[in-house]
Amino acid sequence: MLRYIVQRLIAMAITFFIIISISFFILRLMPGSFADDPTLPREVVEQLEDKYHLNEPLIIQYGYFLKDAVKLDFGVSLKVEPKRTVGEILASKIPITMQLNLFAMLFMIPIGIILGIIAAIRKNRISDHLISVVVVLFISVPSFVFASGLQYIVAFKWNLLPTVLSKEQVLNWARFKSMILPILALSFSGIATITRYVRSELCEALNSEYMLLAKSKGLTQLQATIRHAMRNSFVPLANIIIPIFTSILFGSLVIEKIFAIPGMGGVLINAINAKDHTLTIGLLCFYSVISLMTVLIVDLSYGIIDPRIRIGGRK
Amino acid sequence: MKNQEKILQVKDLYITFNTFSGKVHAVRGVNFDLYKGETLAIVGESGSGKSVTTKTIMGILAKNANKESGQILYKDDDLMKYTEKNYNMIRGTEISMIFQDPMSSLDPVMKIGKQITETLRLKYGVSKQEAKEKAIGLMKAVGIPEAEKRYNQYPFQFSGGMRQRIVIAIALACDPEILICDEPTTALDVTIQAQILELIKDMQKNRDLSVIFITHDLGVVANVADRIAVMYAGKIVEYGTTDEIFYNPKHPYTWSLLASMPDMDTDDKDELFAIAGAPPNMVHPPKGDAFAARNKYAMRIDFEKQPPMYKVSDTHYAATWLLHPDAPKVEMPKILKKRIERQKRRAGEK
Repeated sequence: MLRYIVQRLIAMAITFFIIISISFFILRLMPGSFADDPTLPREVVEQLEDKYHLNEPLIIQYGYFLKDAVKLDFGVSLKVEPKRTVGEILASKIPITMQLNLFAMLFMIPIGIILGIIAAIRKNRISDHLISVVVVLFISVPSFVFASGLQYIVAFKWNLLPTVLSKEQVLNWARFKSMILPILALSFSGIATITRYVRSELCEALNSEYMLLAKSKGLTQLQATIRHAMRNSFVPLANIIIPIFTSILFGSLVIEKIFAIPGMGGVLINAINAKDHTLTIGLLCFYSVISLMTVLIVDLSYGIIDPRIRIGGRK
Repeated sequence: MKNQEKILQVKDLYITFNTFSGKVHAVRGVNFDLYKGETLAIVGESGSGKSVTTKTIMGILAKNANKESGQILYKDDDLMKYTEKNYNMIRGTEISMIFQDPMSSLDPVMKIGKQITETLRLKYGVSKQEAKEKAIGLMKAVGIPEAEKRYNQYPFQFSGGMRQRIVIAIALACDPEILICDEPTTALDVTIQAQILELIKDMQKNRDLSVIFITHDLGVVANVADRIAVMYAGKIVEYGTTDEIFYNPKHPYTWSLLASMPDMDTDDKDELFAIAGAPPNMVHPPKGDAFAARNKYAMRIDFEKQPPMYKVSDTHYAATWLLHPDAPKVEMPKILKKRIERQKRRAGEK
């Protein structure tokens, strides 16, 4: 097991290196510079470029970049929040985004599972069809449409909840209230994914032979469903919930913009637009690390959850 | 046999299924009795309704099934009238069932021990320790070595034959009166098949079980069954004691089945008999004898009217017009006749 993890970590490091290299070159290949303000005197621009080694050949710049990247030092932000280090900016933005995403996860997992169970048990009846319609809607409509719709109807027309995130620094009721809409907008596609998955897994489990045996050995339908069918259908479920976390992380890029949430999403878009390369690369690294970690956790979680792999793998 | 107590009586059972292509008449008026302590084999090809019959007895039919008519009498109760709640009282404790594929009939993510003790714990509230002792006893009884160690293992750590033994242990955990075996050896190696059959026989003797044994393999039946019922297209076409069915079959379908089975004297020069055609589409069951279209002895009446059960002996009945007093005298196929003579001679030598 340890050997497997080490192998995976090495593979991840190589992948990570390729990702940041590609990001680096693509960003530098974009025309223009952060210091392209025509009102700036020529000498100032040259001084700035000199300071950040921007006048040197690309390959040498790449060398500087790698040398610092190894130490996880991505330098200072050039334009978005000048002179603050990228690390600092990340540290201030990550908690905001993470808080929102975690709430969205806490909301979507139980709702998704419950809807999935209802749909599977009442398969081909009205409640199942209704849930299917909702699922298709949630999967096919992008989250920003829901976000704007919720903002317009719930916040603007009905005046029930705030339109944008409150400025409160601590998590109190006012702030939580303003987080409800973004949480909803973020959760819909996740709810749909989980519901669909639970429904199909549970339907399969309900029709399995071990359910027949469980019933014929004297368990009631309810006991057999809870003890055998659900147990089996939840084993693979654990492995889709982790990737959903990554997907809502990316989904929140847009949602944050709509609800004026000062999280990672806004910063990333600003950084790209302002050609603030150091900050952009720093943020991209964060997203790559999260994605890579997710894949690793999913692979390892199979071994923890499923006894067939946990015990079978030891031999 | 006659004086024995009837433990289960199935009367005129009629089951249909709603499907997209129409109503499938899976079981069309099946009658049989199960005596205490005997093994009744139900033989028939795929789709003849044998599994549906037993699933009806267990009350585990699929949702699209309709119980059209019939009675299943068990201890003065009609199981056809049972609600799900009533059924829960007798499943496992009175009637239990084992299935064809031991690979898929065990829950893959639950420990073996827990699966065996589950019913005891949930139904009788037996303490964990007591249930474990009973389960280990059962595991030993069904021939699982190192039962204490195996108790905490998962199904994937067992071979196919071992899993079927576990399934048998599960089915017997609450001491049922009737055990239904739905093709329990079909998914197993031939060598393992014999062991499992032996085990079922032992269990039956030791526990005075009444067994309904479903199979399409006549070779399996010969070893385990006291009586045999041959099913075709949702009906029992012939039933009798094992000797009667093997040595004195009367229905043309039974003849064909027996003739298509290889035996010890079959060598590579002989060609096995194959029944021509395919079973009828049960969405539109035939008006007359369902086997008529594949039967070379069929008469005109076979296509028009269903034959009644004719009595051959006190224990042997067959539904074929050939037994009608006015029917022409037809002999069974020659290869079958020869084979039966050979077998009788051999049995006599013993």
